[in-house]
Amino acid sequence: MLTFILRRFFQTIVVIVILSYVCFGLMNLMPGDPVELMISANPRITQEDVTRLREFYGLDQPVYKRYFAWVSDISTGDLGYSRTYRIPVTEMMLPALLATFILSMASLIFSLIVAIPLGILCALKPNSKVDYAVNLFSFAGISVPSFWLGIVLIIIFAVNLGWLPAGGYQTTGMQYSSWFAEMMDKGKYLILPMVSLSIQSIGRFSRFTRSAMLEAMRNDFIRTAKAKGLSNQVVIWKHGFRNALIPLITIIAISFSSIFSGALITETLFAYPGVGRLIYSSIIGNDFNVAMVSFVISVSMVLLMSLVSDILYGVVDPRISYK
Amino acid sequence: MNTQNPTLNKAQIAQLEKAQSLTQIVYNQFKEHKAAVIGAYVILLFIIVAVSAPLIEKVTGLDADSQNVFNRYRPPMTRVKAGTDVRETAIQRFIDQNPEEVIIIQNQLISQKLVSPIRPEDALYDWAQLDKNKALDAVKLIDTTKKSDLRQIANRFESFHILGTDELGRDVMMRLIYGTRVSMGVGILVALASALIGLFIGALAGFYGGWVDTILMRITDALLSLPLMPVLIVVAAIDLQKLPFLNQIISTGNESIFKLVFILCIFSWMSVARLVRGSILSLREREFILASRTLGATDYTLITRHMFPNVLAPMLVSVTLGVGESILFEAALSFLGLGVQPPTPSWGNMLFNAQELIYQAPFLAVVPGLLILFVTISFNYLGDGLQDAIDPKAMRR
Amino acid sequence: MKSIYLGLVLFTTLLVAAGCTKKEGDGTAAGQTAVATSSSAKLSNNELKIGISQEFENFNPLIASMSATTYMQHMVSRTLSTIDADGKWVPRLAKKIPNLADGSAKIVDKGGKKKLVAVWEILDNASWGDGNPVICEDFALAVKIAGAPTVSVGEKEVYTQVESIIADPKNPKKCTFTYEKAKWDFYQLGTFYPMPKHLEEAVFKKYGSQKEGYEKNSLYSKDPTNPGLYNGPYVMTEIQLGDHVTFAPNPKFYGDQPKIKKIIVKLIPNTGTLEANLRSGTIDIISSLGLALDQALAFDKKIKSENLNYKVLFQPSAVYEHIDLNLDNPALKDVRVRKALNYSINREELVNSLFEGKQNPAIHSITPKDPWFTDDPAKVTIYKYSSREAERLLDEAGWKMGADGVRMKDGKKLTFTLMTTAGNKTRELVQVYLQNKWKQVGIEVVSKNEPARVFFGETTKKRNFDSMALFAWVSSPENSPKSQFTIKNIPTAKNGWSGQNYMGWANSKVDDILNKMDTEFKPETRIAMIHEVLKYYTDEVPVLPLYYRSDVAVIPNQLKGYRLTGHQFPETDEIEKWTVE
Repeated sequence: MLTFILRRFFQTIVVIVILSYVCFGLMNLMPGDPVELMISANPRITQEDVTRLREFYGLDQPVYKRYFAWVSDISTGDLGYSRTYRIPVTEMMLPALLATFILSMASLIFSLIVAIPLGILCALKPNSKVDYAVNLFSFAGISVPSFWLGIVLIIIFAVNLGWLPAGGYQTTGMQYSSWFAEMMDKGKYLILPMVSLSIQSIGRFSRFTRSAMLEAMRNDFIRTAKAKGLSNQVVIWKHGFRNALIPLITIIAISFSSIFSGALITETLFAYPGVGRLIYSSIIGNDFNVAMVSFVISVSMVLLMSLVSDILYGVVDPRISYK
Repeated sequence: MNTQNPTLNKAQIAQLEKAQSLTQIVYNQFKEHKAAVIGAYVILLFIIVAVSAPLIEKVTGLDADSQNVFNRYRPPMTRVKAGTDVRETAIQRFIDQNPEEVIIIQNQLISQKLVSPIRPEDALYDWAQLDKNKALDAVKLIDTTKKSDLRQIANRFESFHILGTDELGRDVMMRLIYGTRVSMGVGILVALASALIGLFIGALAGFYGGWVDTILMRITDALLSLPLMPVLIVVAAIDLQKLPFLNQIISTGNESIFKLVFILCIFSWMSVARLVRGSILSLREREFILASRTLGATDYTLITRHMFPNVLAPMLVSVTLGVGESILFEAALSFLGLGVQPPTPSWGNMLFNAQELIYQAPFLAVVPGLLILFVTISFNYLGDGLQDAIDPKAMRR
Repeated sequence: MKSIYLGLVLFTTLLVAAGCTKKEGDGTAAGQTAVATSSSAKLSNNELKIGISQEFENFNPLIASMSATTYMQHMVSRTLSTIDADGKWVPRLAKKIPNLADGSAKIVDKGGKKKLVAVWEILDNASWGDGNPVICEDFALAVKIAGAPTVSVGEKEVYTQVESIIADPKNPKKCTFTYEKAKWDFYQLGTFYPMPKHLEEAVFKKYGSQKEGYEKNSLYSKDPTNPGLYNGPYVMTEIQLGDHVTFAPNPKFYGDQPKIKKIIVKLIPNTGTLEANLRSGTIDIISSLGLALDQALAFDKKIKSENLNYKVLFQPSAVYEHIDLNLDNPALKDVRVRKALNYSINREELVNSLFEGKQNPAIHSITPKDPWFTDDPAKVTIYKYSSREAERLLDEAGWKMGADGVRMKDGKKLTFTLMTTAGNKTRELVQVYLQNKWKQVGIEVVSKNEPARVFFGETTKKRNFDSMALFAWVSSPENSPKSQFTIKNIPTAKNGWSGQNYMGWANSKVDDILNKMDTEFKPETRIAMIHEVLKYYTDEVPVLPLYYRSDVAVIPNQLKGYRLTGHQFPETDEIEKWTVE
């Protein structure tokens, strides 16, 4: 078991390193470098300025050299500076990570709260009207473009009804009298992005719960439990749902992997200062260090979480053994 | 089935006892899934609309590209007059094509006092400034062999826009119809192409195993772990035209579409590859493979003859679901301005164009989104139905 | 099942339709009065929230280059001279602009080279936010830092054009600037910022030798709310990168104290939601870095129809939208073809139909606000829309109308590729409009759009566009077009792709005039010279002028003293005059 974990961990590290090089290379393939971006903003920059700046940033070096320079910086714990904001990347990433974490957690919890009961309901009454309706809703959730949903939500709730703010993180310049006031204010801004993010996962989770639950309820021990005269509630929750939980846990673990990578379009649409928006603006603004760090974080999260879910499998289900 | 009727005749019993072919079973099973059937019809409808776009253009007389900058952002169900430039161009073409007949028409127009131009050569141009109905009336009164041509020109003086006009006064409905071509075309093309790539890679990995398998599957895992949206944004910004082999196929007009297909393919073959690898791994150990191997079948024959037919069904499901996903990605990238470039319409870039003015013209943002939703839902239902149909566990006999 | 499916379709459609139509109905009427009352009740000189839609960066004036940063920099930092809202150069931190006439500036001969010496005297009460006076050495430090090879200054020449700054021994505020070259535009120091010596010199001494050491450790990065860094009407009190910046009046400001007690600049990256944020009171005004023109036009109409308490300001600006023609293109080599292209653009209709007349048609590269502007037909050639003239020129050039409506010559179609930046709505509109116009005279134009970074980073820079590139130059009044017109500035692999003469326009007479103009100190002569250049420019049509962009902003009616400038120095340059009544 330990050797398995170590081996997988080592493999994961190798994949992360290779992927970071790929990302680095891809970023370099993008035409135009930071200096050219400056030119387009300021036509008075001369050719001498351009050559000087390019040398300054080491942009005249080949990709692999720059990559090694970057990696050696990273390995000493120096994540580098944001070229746009001239502050350490860590200082930028932390608040963004926190914001994204809040949004993703809220959306994950919200979707679980909605999806699991829906899924169970369907599994208990398969092929009923309710089942079909939930099924359709789930399919719609999976199929709807989240940015479009965001726009529609803004039109309805922010523009026409005026109930919720159209975007942002908190009321600007607000002085909070208490943590409760702060939470209420920030919560108000969270609702629309959270809902537009959740719809898709609600669809996925409820379908998943339904099939897991159906599978579980088909087991023989359920029949036995029923035959024993246990109450319906006990059968459903203690015997059925518990067994449906195992596959559910893995899918939730997988959703955790995206908890720090943020939702690029949704965050941009709602002006939510999270990692997704940071990645987008750093790619567009050619802020190398920020983009690379965000890439590495989200890639690592995905790989580590799939490792964790593999291990979890073994813990939850003793039938699975590691070779 | 039919147990309520014990007195079956022989033919009926024979019918019942006859083994159903697999496709028949699947087909019957599929028919059970009503939503999937509806989905299939919706898709069929959209495909018909997309294919017959030029026909619709001809019948309605509307054109997806012709603009009318004085009538921008018109609400649905409005009647709009064509711009002077459009009319004059039509007249000029007419004059260029029928120089002799024009003189007769001009003289008649003036003599019948239908128009009173300063110079006689301008008679037709003046006629072009009339309202549609007046212009048609005028055509009735004059005597010429080119009556039908003139009537056709006059019919273009006014257009009716069921879904209103967009930011350049173009007909929204026609653009949506042409957008259907692009968006669904991209979706289907990407799904098919990535299925082929996935089939190839999955087959290689599953059949040969060993280091081939390890390398290919690590690549697959790695690609799967990449944050898709940021990577797509980066790749979309790269100028693919620099790659020499692509330069040959891509012409300037549809470059952005092919680029998009290309990019989406790179990042969407992985799930098919995994699926194919899995099935081939298990097939490899089966007796019938061993049998044909002892009979001297080559690897190629083994894979294409014996293994592919067995993975076809699950792949079909995966392709169907992939179409919906690709449509969503096309929309998302175009929404960020990195996908299909104007003036080619796609649902995604129509949404992108509309988002700035969602308060003034929300309709423009709502309709393409709804279409994306309907088509994706339909593809997802179709995939679901197919899955149920080929899944022996879900069979209800 | 079927009915549920249909039901959902109907339901969403209805929901959406309700969402769309409600705004015309009573929904907004109620909402709008609520917003109007709440915003008018809230809006006072106590606080003003400005919405911007572009990202901003670090506020070190030596390094910053984004327009949103410049926007805020002008609230906190002042320079010796600047351009006012009327387009004239005026002194700011300086008592007056030195000139040759009264001897405050003179041309001297040093070692056989002509140099310029000017005396700038800083206002007596000009001081940094912590009370230290602004002195000559602050400017000298800026030159020193900017000149260091370890610091990544963008536009270096502004600083390095000044060889030395020497303070009067008796008066630390009287500075003698020696300029490297004797150029007439020496006084245009709008982007030459002083650096607070008492704070930044120590940082530079300590970290200046490390690469990027200075900018990482500068107080502008480490302690950006230190009032000693700023000498303008406001100081920064809170900065949240990527979200907002808060400003408070600077009690040590040399001029009138600003009237608004607190200003917040809030970043809302999605321009589509700016308006909703304005109406929900998240922001009070939309700055010139906000709405696209189309949105502003639509909002303007809505204000009128719904009687809202806002006004939309339109200000013609120095941003010149045009099409660079690649003169190496075989068809474009013929000046008749270029003229025909120019004749077939109906600029009046273009601006009236697409911009409702809120942006002005362009006839050449100099904007109407510039003292150098002329529209005298005797001095420049004016192209009035005439499709018939265009067709005549094309016929004359041998391009005959083909059966498919596209002109042909020697078996080749008259086709061009019009490239521009993808995602710029207005440009894409104009592009499609032009395509249509040219189609009518038998010229086929296909469009090809690229992301801005590709377009500017590769395509225009390396002249990779095959025939037409649509973009804008941001100019300022009295700015020599040398880098765009002279032969030396045609980008080639040889010169490392330097210069902005993307057209490949080679006219040695224009070169001569522009070179001479650099050292011409008489304004009238300069004007005559530039008119001569414009004559060549309009005669030879290396560029198709389109229109000048307008800056737009939305402000509440109560806000007074707010004036858009229409040039590179934004409206915040006079922010101390803003007040809510």
